[in-house]
Parts: sequence; structure tokens; C-alpha cells
Amino acid sequence: MIEVKDLVRRFKSGDRTITPVNGVSFEFGKGSLASIVGKSGSGKSTLLSLLGALDKPTSGDVVVDGVSLAGLPDGKLTEYRRRDIGFVFQQFNLIPNLSALDNVMLPMEFAGIRKAARAQRARELLEQVQLEPEKHTRRTNRLSGGEQQRVAIARALANEPKLILADEPTGNLDEQTGEHIIELLSSLSRDHNTTILVVTHDRGLAQKTDRRFRLQQGRLNEEVTAGK
Amino acid sequence: MSVLARSVGNAFRNKIRTAAVVAVLAVAIGLALSMLVANQAVGAKVQELNASVGTTLTVNPAGGQGFEGGGEPLTSADAATAAAVPNVTSVVGTKALRLRTETTTAGSTDPADGAAQPGPGGPGGQAASLTTSLVAAVDAGTLGTRNNAGNSGSTAARTFTLPITATGIAAEVDTAGKALEITSGTGLGDYTVAGTKALVGTTLAEKNLLKVGSTFTIADKTYTVTGVFDAGTAFGNNAVYLTLPEAQALAGTPGELSSMVVTVNSMENVDTTKTELQEALGSGKADVTQGQRNLETAVASLDSVKGISLVAFIAALATAGLIILLIMVMLVRERRREIGVLKAIGARNRTIGLQFVLEALVLVALGSVVGAAIASFASGGIASALVSSNSAAGTTGAAAQRGPAGGLPGGAFPGGGQGGPFGGASQLLTSVTANASPGVIAAGIAAVFAVAVVGALVPALLTARIRPIEVLRGE
Repeated sequence: MIEVKDLVRRFKSGDRTITPVNGVSFEFGKGSLASIVGKSGSGKSTLLSLLGALDKPTSGDVVVDGVSLAGLPDGKLTEYRRRDIGFVFQQFNLIPNLSALDNVMLPMEFAGIRKAARAQRARELLEQVQLEPEKHTRRTNRLSGGEQQRVAIARALANEPKLILADEPTGNLDEQTGEHIIELLSSLSRDHNTTILVVTHDRGLAQKTDRRFRLQQGRLNEEVTAGK
Repeated sequence: MSVLARSVGNAFRNKIRTAAVVAVLAVAIGLALSMLVANQAVGAKVQELNASVGTTLTVNPAGGQGFEGGGEPLTSADAATAAAVPNVTSVVGTKALRLRTETTTAGSTDPADGAAQPGPGGPGGQAASLTTSLVAAVDAGTLGTRNNAGNSGSTAARTFTLPITATGIAAEVDTAGKALEITSGTGLGDYTVAGTKALVGTTLAEKNLLKVGSTFTIADKTYTVTGVFDAGTAFGNNAVYLTLPEAQALAGTPGELSSMVVTVNSMENVDTTKTELQEALGSGKADVTQGQRNLETAVASLDSVKGISLVAFIAALATAGLIILLIMVMLVRERRREIGVLKAIGARNRTIGLQFVLEALVLVALGSVVGAAIASFASGGIASALVSSNSAAGTTGAAAQRGPAGGLPGGAFPGGGQGGPFGGASQLLTSVTANASPGVIAAGIAAVFAVAVVGALVPALLTARIRPIEVLRGE
């Protein structure tokens, strides 16, 4: 259960103060697939970074399973990211000189999982995201965009997180590959009861999620669809 | 993949840059190691030179030395006075006797033999030479015959037997204060009491078929050989050592000394102690000579080289550290986003910092391998260049400082030459050889690694300041 309470994030930009997130509040149940839509620069990525503890809010709080992130020291926030969060980025952000397998194993290494166990799980995850076995040991900078995004999803799932935050996961992919990635995320939500929050400006992608939110002028509104 | 494996992989991520960094590091490390090798070689040489002569002063009666010259003999009271001078650690008195072979004495009536007649006087001598059953191990040869002819006033070329020097010593050292190297048998035991034990030089022992336990006579008194020593020179080995009281008794001059060897506590104090010793004994009573004047000059030059090499070693080490620091700062800046990714997926600051430190150490390890190879080839040349560039100044200084001690002829006493073995600072300087020993190289590399760790820690700590939000930079 994720509870966002009156979240505000302000930046100084020269003489101006920008408030990309301005009093955002919502609750998010386990195993749901939700999307946040909005124009470029509307603050979607900022909101995602606050939910994922990549950044700290100016005010407000994010409560995950009853634990408030506000006031947690950096070490605890690192632990939260390692244990509870899985990130999928628009530009994949894989370590280019490591193989697909090694990239997926990284979060498990940081979590202190033994080498044999993490190698085994990494292979399973790469199979789950349908990356061909012969590409498991290939450096990620030699994989296609779709393959890299699948590796990124596998990496996000490595430590069985409660929440996967996907920032424009199909932004750099062609339509067909993007469709496949969305199907993959939907199945993960269904099969693993993992909460997935996708940030996108692609309305087509947002239509395929259970809940849709729109971020406009720093404020978040849920779009209600008939029948849902 | 472990942190170490990842660090190794990162070190080779850009092979051209890695090669360039390793090459620059290798030069700095090679220079540092070469300087360390030179420093060690020069240090060893200084130690060797100090050990070879030590910090000794020789005191002779004023106006005399050995069996030459005149003046009043030194006494035990002078030895006590010398011992009371500050910085003096020991005073060893000696008593020299000139021995003539019995057969030569009996079979010759020529005053040139110097046996039937009173021998040359001098401070260390006695009224008459003593007879011995020993035969000198040194042939007179042209020089001996010529010198002897000069002494007798005759120009006739004839053969005769050289005298043997017997010296009474108060400790197991020669007349220059150096420890005796006994090659067989033992020393004389208690050097403060008279006794019939004797040490003989190797060549003298061979000439007279003596070994430990053999006997010979001096002034019809029988002495037993307790040990055979090697002085390192033909002249030095044509000698006998007795205890000081025994030699004084044989000479019939109890309490008299031919010379004293005064040891000073450190080389820095030799000059001042020499002055104070001269004042304490009186310039009309004793001549105090400093045998290592040239050595001191040479050591000063070598110390200068040692200092230069140490500074250069530290500078090269600091350069290597700086190179690592700058390279790693550059890498950290270049990989800000990647560091953000690692933090976003849960890496601790210390894990990321350790990864960068290990990456730096991989580069240093490669640089060290190449640097050690450079040092093994270049250290000899660099040491020689350093030494020779200093030897010019050193020898100029030596020439300026060379006093009477430097020009004294050796040979008045066994091993008693003051200037001979250290006739030129330049010779000492050029005899330094630098070999890159594994121990020195290992110590140098350990120092390089220590500096590299410090150099890599700064950028590693910088990684802790990079926020995970960096992962979204440019998205």
C-alpha cells in the first residue's frame, strides 16, 4: 500500500521558482497497474523520482506499507530503493560494459544474495522477459532497444520489489516493441501481484492500465473510465 | 560479478585511455622506484663507508708517528684524559714494537740491519728492537732495500729481512680502531693483563708455519698463537698483536702508549670532538688526526645524493598520486549518471566508492608492473647520473678540505695509513652501484599503492555526494 500525502517539490531556476509537483495526494493498492499522463515537462518524472526516493520532496510525505519516507536517512532510503522499488527508465540506464545477466544480477549483489542464487534468478528473469539465452551474456550496448528495455525490466524485478516505477518505458521504442513491453508489465502486475506505476505521455499506453492519472500544473487528477 | 571484477572491467572499458593512463603512471612509478633504488644504494654505500672506518680519531705523540719523528710518548693518563672528552665513546691505546729476526741479528754486523744497533726511536719505539724467532712475511724487495740503504747511509744494494711490527692492543681492534677479523682460533681474551698469547697475521703465520697453538719467541720469551687474523693487506698481515700490558712490559715502558684510537659517538661530532680532544691533550703533547676527512666529504656528497633521490622519490610518488586523483575525478564526473543508476538500484555509497578505489588500484598495478620494468633498467643509470653530477662538487670540496691526514702515507703501523684507502672522494662516489632488488621494488610499490589509495579515496568520496536523481539527467 502506497500513500502519497500532499507532496510538493519546488526548484529554483534562476530567479523563478518552479513547482512541478504541487500538493499531490493519492493512494495506491497492491498489484495494480496505473499510469500518470501529462505533457512533457509537466512533472511526471519528478513525481516518479519522489515516489522512488531518488529525490526528496520540499514538503509532504510518501508512506509505503506504513513507513514514512520523509525523514529517513540516506542509508535507509538506499535500502528502500534496493528492497522495495524497481526502476525502468526511458533510456534503459543499463551498465553498458556488463552483460545482460550481470546487469540483472547487480541489484541482487547489492542485496547480498549469493552468487549462484543470483545467477539462477537472473537467468529465470531474462527468460521471463523473453530475452534469448544466447543474448544473456552479451554486453547490453550490443542489444537492440527492445532487448535492452526487457533487460531493464528484468533488473527491476530482481529483488521482487513491491513497486515498479516505469518512466516512459516505451518512449525510445517502436510501436510493436512498446506494445510488447506493456503486455509484459501487465502480466507482471497480474502474475506477481506487483504494483506498477507507469509515467507516460502516450495516451494509448495509458489506456491499457487499470487506473489513469493526469498531472497538470503540478496537480494530479484521476481520470475515471466508465465501467472500471 | 563481484566489485573487484567490475572494477577490473571498468579499468579496461576504454582501452586506449587505459593504455595512456598506464603509460603516464608507469613513468611516474618507474621514476619513483628508480629514485628509491638509488636512495637505498647510496644509503647502503654511506653505511658501508661509515662502517669501514667508523668515527675514529687517531692520537699520536706530537711530532711523531709510528717509528718516525720524535716527541714525548703518550701515557695511560692521556688515555684517561681523552676518555673524559664529551662524545668520546671509547679510547683504545696501542703500543708498537719493532721485531728483528734472531738469525738476522746473529748473522749480521751491518748496522743497516738495524738489529745490532738501536732501532729508530720515535714515540712508539723503544731503545732497542726486540728479537724474535719469526721471519717477516714481506720480502724487502727494491723498496725495502732502497729504504734501508737510505736509513744506513749506504748505497750498496744488499738483501736483508724486514722488521715485523708487534702491537699491544687494549681491545680486539687494530691500530685504526677496526675490529680484527680473526680467521682461525680466538682473540687474546683479557686485553688488560699481560700474557703470552699472541695473534699473528695470515701471511706471517704461513711464512713461519704457524697455526693456532704454535709457539714463537720475542726477546727469548715464548708466545702461543691463539688466533690468526686477516688485516686485508700484505703489510697488515706481517704483524703480531699482543695484549697492551704485555707489549708495554716487553718494551720496558709500562704505562706508555704509541698511539690511541678514540671513537666518537657520531660522525657529526667528529670535528668538534677532535678540537676538544686536541685542547684536552695539548697541542704540544699530542697530534690528533682525523683519518676520514676525505670519507666525510664523500659521505657528505653521497648524503646529498641520498637527499635528492629521496625528494625525487617523494615527488614522483606524489605525481603518481596526483595522476590517479585527476584520472579518477575525471572518471567519476564522466560516470555521474552511471553512479546514479547504481544508487537508484540500491548500491551503497561504500560499494560504489570501493569500486572506484579498486579501479584505481588496477590502473596502479598495471603502471607498477611497467614502472618496475622501467626501474630495473633505468635505476642504475639514474643513480650513476645523480652520483656523477654530485661527484664534481664533492671532489672539489674534498680537494679543498684535504689536510695533512689525507696525505699521510700508510704503513707506519699495520693498517695505520690514514689517507691511503680513502685517497679520493670521487672514487668512493663512482663506486656506488644501484641494483633494483626485489625488496626495494616491493617496498616502493607498496608506497605507490598507499599513495594511490589516498589519491583514489578523494574521488571515491565524491561519488557519495552524487545523488541518485542523476539517473534522470537528460531523460
